[in-house]
Amino acid sequence: MGKLLQLLLRNGGFMTFVLVEVLCFYIIIKYNEDQNAIFSHTATVFSGRFLDKRRQIADYLNLQQIADSLRAENIRINEELANARNIQVPYRDTFFIRNLDTLLLSDSLRRISVKPQFEFISARAVGNSISGANNWLIINKGSNDGITPNMGLVSRNGVVGIIRHVGSNFSMAMSVLHRQMRISVNLQRHHALGSLIWEGGDPALMTLKFVPHHFKVEKGDAVVTSGYSQLFPKDVLVGHVEEKPGSDPENPYFWIIKVRLNQDMASVNDLYVVNNIFYSELDSLNLKVKDE
Amino acid sequence: MNNSIFPNIWRFFGLVALQVLLLQQITLSIGPYFNILLYPLFILFLPIQLPAPYVVLLGSLIGMAVDFFYGTLGLHASAGAFSGFARSVILATFEPKGGFTGKEPIASPAHFGWRWYLQVASYFFVAHLFWYFSVMDFTFVYFTRITLKTLSGWGLTMIFVVLYSALFNPKN
Repeated sequence: MGKLLQLLLRNGGFMTFVLVEVLCFYIIIKYNEDQNAIFSHTATVFSGRFLDKRRQIADYLNLQQIADSLRAENIRINEELANARNIQVPYRDTFFIRNLDTLLLSDSLRRISVKPQFEFISARAVGNSISGANNWLIINKGSNDGITPNMGLVSRNGVVGIIRHVGSNFSMAMSVLHRQMRISVNLQRHHALGSLIWEGGDPALMTLKFVPHHFKVEKGDAVVTSGYSQLFPKDVLVGHVEEKPGSDPENPYFWIIKVRLNQDMASVNDLYVVNNIFYSELDSLNLKVKDE
Repeated sequence: MNNSIFPNIWRFFGLVALQVLLLQQITLSIGPYFNILLYPLFILFLPIQLPAPYVVLLGSLIGMAVDFFYGTLGLHASAGAFSGFARSVILATFEPKGGFTGKEPIASPAHFGWRWYLQVASYFFVAHLFWYFSVMDFTFVYFTRITLKTLSGWGLTMIFVVLYSALFNPKN
């Protein structure tokens, strides 16, 4: 303390100068418009830089969390890949199977999986809307990344949309919250086929139609993709039945079922584009029967 | 010490009046590159023996007085405080052999001669004007403009400094 006092006394002129200048600059900035404008502009630039640095540091500190979630994602994808390998694909006249477990369980037919039917391309949402009557997503992958129209778009939590328009670096995907959206789904417990549509309004709820009355649908039943649309793999979770269904007024033989989406469409971020390798083949077959 | 108070008080009011009544009008009518700031002479003519903190405070005081008339609150006060601080550095640099004695109460040509006085005053006014124009533009983006204004303002100001010092030839 004594040394500090000595320092102040010895440099009294300088200390007084600094204190008076601080006061003067405060007065200048407060009462002079030009200097105030320059000061605020400079302060904005510097605080912008500061905030940017802080975000970088925060990102760095979150790396552990990101690594954890990526690890979980890897496990999930590995499992999915393993399952996909079990999709039995005709190879030659005779079928082979590579998986030992299934070989033991299998009948006399021997099958082999040549390649998985579905490929996943990771992407991020860079645009999303949920409030309109017809909503779209923009993702940061395009034809350069092997994306073509009519690929499915899923997230870790379920179905998100269908790719419609593809640029070289970005793509537009029709969100599930679009009135033209028709997703072919199953009620998992009954294997009951239905068609999932969005009638507008609540972005968390979709409507499942064309499930016949003889299925006893309960609240909480899981709704998964059927795999019939060729856009999505089979058994991707879409949502759960929201409440005990009522009859469809337009079509009295069927239920009208409210389904709560598993993926919150308001917080879509990490996505996977689903490439069905046999899409064109299956689609051309579909076209052949269209006119018959 | 007592006999040096009144001359300084007269100088304070006289220089502020001269600054805002005459010199400010000259600048306003000719243009921003013709700034004549004579009031810092008050700071230069404060007693040499006066401790530096007082010089800084009095410098900001006369600056504040000029600010009220210029409508630039804080600007001249900042420059005055700076030149008050710069004065102690300049005087220490130009200290005569044997140091300052009580015989020369103020740094004027009457005590030290014109050659010494003009050197000290030149550095002193360059420091004051440069600080003043820097704070006025408030950014060194306009460094060239600040330097040009300092040089042109300094040339004009020095003419008035010589006139004032020759006319009044202050001793206290």
